[in-house]
Amino acid sequence: MSPTPSPLEVDETGLGHDEVVDADRPWIVLVWNDPINLMSYVSHVFQKLFGYSKAKADRLMLDVHEKGRAVVSNGARENAEMDVFRLHEHGLWATMQRDD
Amino acid sequence: MILRRRRPHAFEHDGDRTAIRLGDDERSMLANLAGQFRAVVADDADPDLRRLYPTAYPADPERDADYSELVHDDLVRTRVAAADTVVATASAVSLDADQLAAWMQVLNGLRLLLGTRLDVSEEDEFDPEADDAPTRALLSWLGFLLEEAVVAASADLGDA
Repeated sequence: MSPTPSPLEVDETGLGHDEVVDADRPWIVLVWNDPINLMSYVSHVFQKLFGYSKAKADRLMLDVHEKGRAVVSNGARENAEMDVFRLHEHGLWATMQRDD
Repeated sequence: MILRRRRPHAFEHDGDRTAIRLGDDERSMLANLAGQFRAVVADDADPDLRRLYPTAYPADPERDADYSELVHDDLVRTRVAAADTVVATASAVSLDADQLAAWMQVLNGLRLLLGTRLDVSEEDEFDPEADDAPTRALLSWLGFLLEEAVVAASADLGDA
């Protein structure tokens, strides 16, 4: 899903071994279906937090609704964790994991 | 998730503010609910609050404990502040964008709390004779208000 960073980029971060492994396998943020959240609200939150178009947000929302979950963002662990936090703040059921 | 049908608008976006089109009874009901929500969130002991604090790392309990320690108090604080905003603006003529966001956070938070208490599922059908019918009706009304708030807030995002 995400391009692998070049070794140069990894070195520039100055992070330890564990973080280099993280960079090789970026983190994905998942939103899971639940029986309480409104479809329109979930799409609104995707637009507000990630700046997605209404069309893209609706598509992700329908993926959550029909397939049970959708990947809504990805990146370094710190960024993914911030996305998870903001989704939790808005009451969505979000988790994160390595992209593998 | 649930798809809802439209009824007459409860909120009306106008310039950079959103007018509240609710009667006094609905406003006082909402202020009362926001006050109760604030108390339950601040007390932070009700197990039915669990949907408001999901697991971030389901496969890694250690990291999840770190995450929870990092964010839990912030999540409590923002929800208490949002509930205070709803109580303070329940009788207002209109809301600014931040106040409308606080209303949405409280409406959704109340739905998560009540929905968890009711153990709702997407297949549930309303039974007016059931013991939990009043709470389910309340959940439905909060959903109507949230749906309306989404329509008004979407105008701020430029897609309405």
